[in-house]
Amino acid sequence: MNLALTDEQKARKQEFYETCKELEKKRPPNFLGFETIYEDDRCWEYNLHCAKEFAKKGWLALGWPTEYGGKGDMMDRVLFAEARGYYGIPGVDIFGVQMLAPTLLQAASEEIKRKFLPPIARGEVMWCELWSEPNAGSDLASLSTTAIRKGEEYVINGQKTWNTGAHRADWGFGVFKTDPAARKHHNMTFILLDMKTPGITIRPIPYLDGHAPYCEVYFDDVHVPARNIVGQEHEGWAVVNLLAGFERSGINEIMAMIRGLEQLVRYCNETKRHGQPLAKNPLVRNRLAELACQLEAARALAYRVADLQNRNEMSLMDASAGKIFFSELGERFAFVATDILGPYGQVKTSRWAPLDGVWERMFHEHFITTVSMGTNEIQRNIIAWYGLGLPRIR
Amino acid sequence: MDLRFTETQEILKKMARDFLTTECPKTLVRKLEQSREGHSPEIWKKMAELGWMGLIIPEEYGGMGYSFQDLVVLLEEIGRNILPGPLIATMTSTFPILQAGTEEQKKTLLPKIAQGELILTTALLESEGVFDASGISVRATPKGNDFLINGTKLFVEMAHIANSILCVTRTKDSGSGEKGITLFIVDAKTPGISCEVMPTTAADKLCEVRFKDVSVPRKNMLGKIDEGWPIVEMMLRKGAIAKCAESIGAIQTCVEMTVAYSKERVQYERPIGAFQALQHKMADMWTAMETSRYLVYEAAWMESEGLPCAKEASMAKAYVNEVYKDVSKWAVRLHGAIATSADHDIPLYYRRSKAADIAFGNTDFHREIVAQKIGLV
Repeated sequence: MNLALTDEQKARKQEFYETCKELEKKRPPNFLGFETIYEDDRCWEYNLHCAKEFAKKGWLALGWPTEYGGKGDMMDRVLFAEARGYYGIPGVDIFGVQMLAPTLLQAASEEIKRKFLPPIARGEVMWCELWSEPNAGSDLASLSTTAIRKGEEYVINGQKTWNTGAHRADWGFGVFKTDPAARKHHNMTFILLDMKTPGITIRPIPYLDGHAPYCEVYFDDVHVPARNIVGQEHEGWAVVNLLAGFERSGINEIMAMIRGLEQLVRYCNETKRHGQPLAKNPLVRNRLAELACQLEAARALAYRVADLQNRNEMSLMDASAGKIFFSELGERFAFVATDILGPYGQVKTSRWAPLDGVWERMFHEHFITTVSMGTNEIQRNIIAWYGLGLPRIR
Repeated sequence: MDLRFTETQEILKKMARDFLTTECPKTLVRKLEQSREGHSPEIWKKMAELGWMGLIIPEEYGGMGYSFQDLVVLLEEIGRNILPGPLIATMTSTFPILQAGTEEQKKTLLPKIAQGELILTTALLESEGVFDASGISVRATPKGNDFLINGTKLFVEMAHIANSILCVTRTKDSGSGEKGITLFIVDAKTPGISCEVMPTTAADKLCEVRFKDVSVPRKNMLGKIDEGWPIVEMMLRKGAIAKCAESIGAIQTCVEMTVAYSKERVQYERPIGAFQALQHKMADMWTAMETSRYLVYEAAWMESEGLPCAKEASMAKAYVNEVYKDVSKWAVRLHGAIATSADHDIPLYYRRSKAADIAFGNTDFHREIVAQKIGLV
């Protein structure tokens, strides 16, 4: 067991932190965390600016093979995510950089890799995910949107939903039923498509706070080139599973919470209640300390996942456990923080809101991590079935 | 960064698991629980031959010279098998001698500990039952070349069979309570000491130890007079991590036994492990175990490297305390009625979760340390 960083890693970590600290100074006042990039034009511009800055340093291709412009290793990627998480800096497309790129590297043809990886590394093309449908959520394999092969094209018809950032994205990756007669799990293909293709209609959906980070996407005779697929035709399910395996370790979200805790501690030290600092209240102390312990546990597990990935090993159980833990910690944190803020815990960003209203926002934003990327209930199934070997009744 | 065990650690782990599986079956655990001693001299002797008591004692004092991190690997295995006896008390009482002992004290005591000839325990808590210095009122007063100890200690693990007791005493009154604490190594046979085993949840032989004009030679003072509290803090910190490691092993056993049972037990024509109500609970137990494990490893690594880790040690203890109680509770619940019986192994773990929670500081004690370390005024 050795948790120490090498001197080179320490130096790179410092560079990641310094760069992110600089970028933080440029953030628009209404930027309140990752999801806001999809909701507001100025925040989206900020996202693109950060992407360009990171691309210049080669940081969007950390851990890739050098032949595709890669630099550094998986551990660098973790340290970079840590710095971005701490300062809350966007610019790393979760769909393009974090999900699609590693999938392409493992499963795509040389032609597809050469065509799609460089624009991702340059921070030029932003992606969205086209998976869920109104009747295919956790049971994704029961999807019904079709992509029927006609010569050198697929013609897509149907509807996708909960597509985060689809209204901002240049390209989308999705799974579509290409062989409706075939059995489940062997009837779909993983397709890459230009979101500007005629026949695509994108409608933003308001999230429960009224903002619109995600969309529903309608396909009406959308023609896409048949060569833009990943993996074998009709075997897109394997690619879906591969991509799902590139879960984020959660270090980004965890570092954001660690900084959130630091800010909350400062607020409690500076805010007087009943004639003394809020920090002197034993209940506040106990609850914040409890969260701090859980945060450290989450961070330790995230490093475990990163350590495995860095050696090209993967523990599906640990990745699922990490996802469950950090996302539900986000819920608890939001509840405790808004509770400690008292009546101010309900105030949105404004002159009345403590800490820019970030905790009011967390009070509804935490569902994004518990529900997306495989609901936490699905993650528990993964641990139970594939990890603990418990019987699965179909 | 590499979170895997080293080769030496893997060997140690395997050796410990094999040894404990053979030598320490649950029938013996129950027998020892019910005995007054709670200790098997035969196993003790064999463990001494394996070098366990001397694991972290430097080779020059007859020990194995292993690191604190290695000790954690061994303790995890001990926790899996819930080995009763004075091993943990002896090991954790060794820390203060290693850190604060004079050369003479080390030369006298450490080889004996390593050879299994000296069972040691620490007398810290008193009637208030608190882990800070304000709870210490047992007096040591100088008399010629000796000190006289008077007062009553409580919750002293295995004191009834210990050869020596590390006694935390008050030698001077002070405002905060932390000044004026002095440690003494007391021969348990000294006239004036009386001992009584307290009935406890885990039947782990915590004792009341009464000191009445117990005379201790000045040379048995550990560290400097009035300045013993930092030694106690160090022992609480290392002891907390050690106890966490033991708990991780126990938590793992609870998870494994529950998963295995749920695959065998058939109700409604299917193994109960097929029901999602149980599957999700077991997934939660596994997640709690895994989050605990790497938090403890982090603290252990820092301690082993000599890095300041009071925050991480307290975080680990405060977290694992709750996880062990919760996971062992769910282990009973998922087994159903069978695990509410004293004949079942799971309750052995559930009962110990309470003892583990209290040893070296309960959750609220450690959360307060964390509150200070994260910067709350």
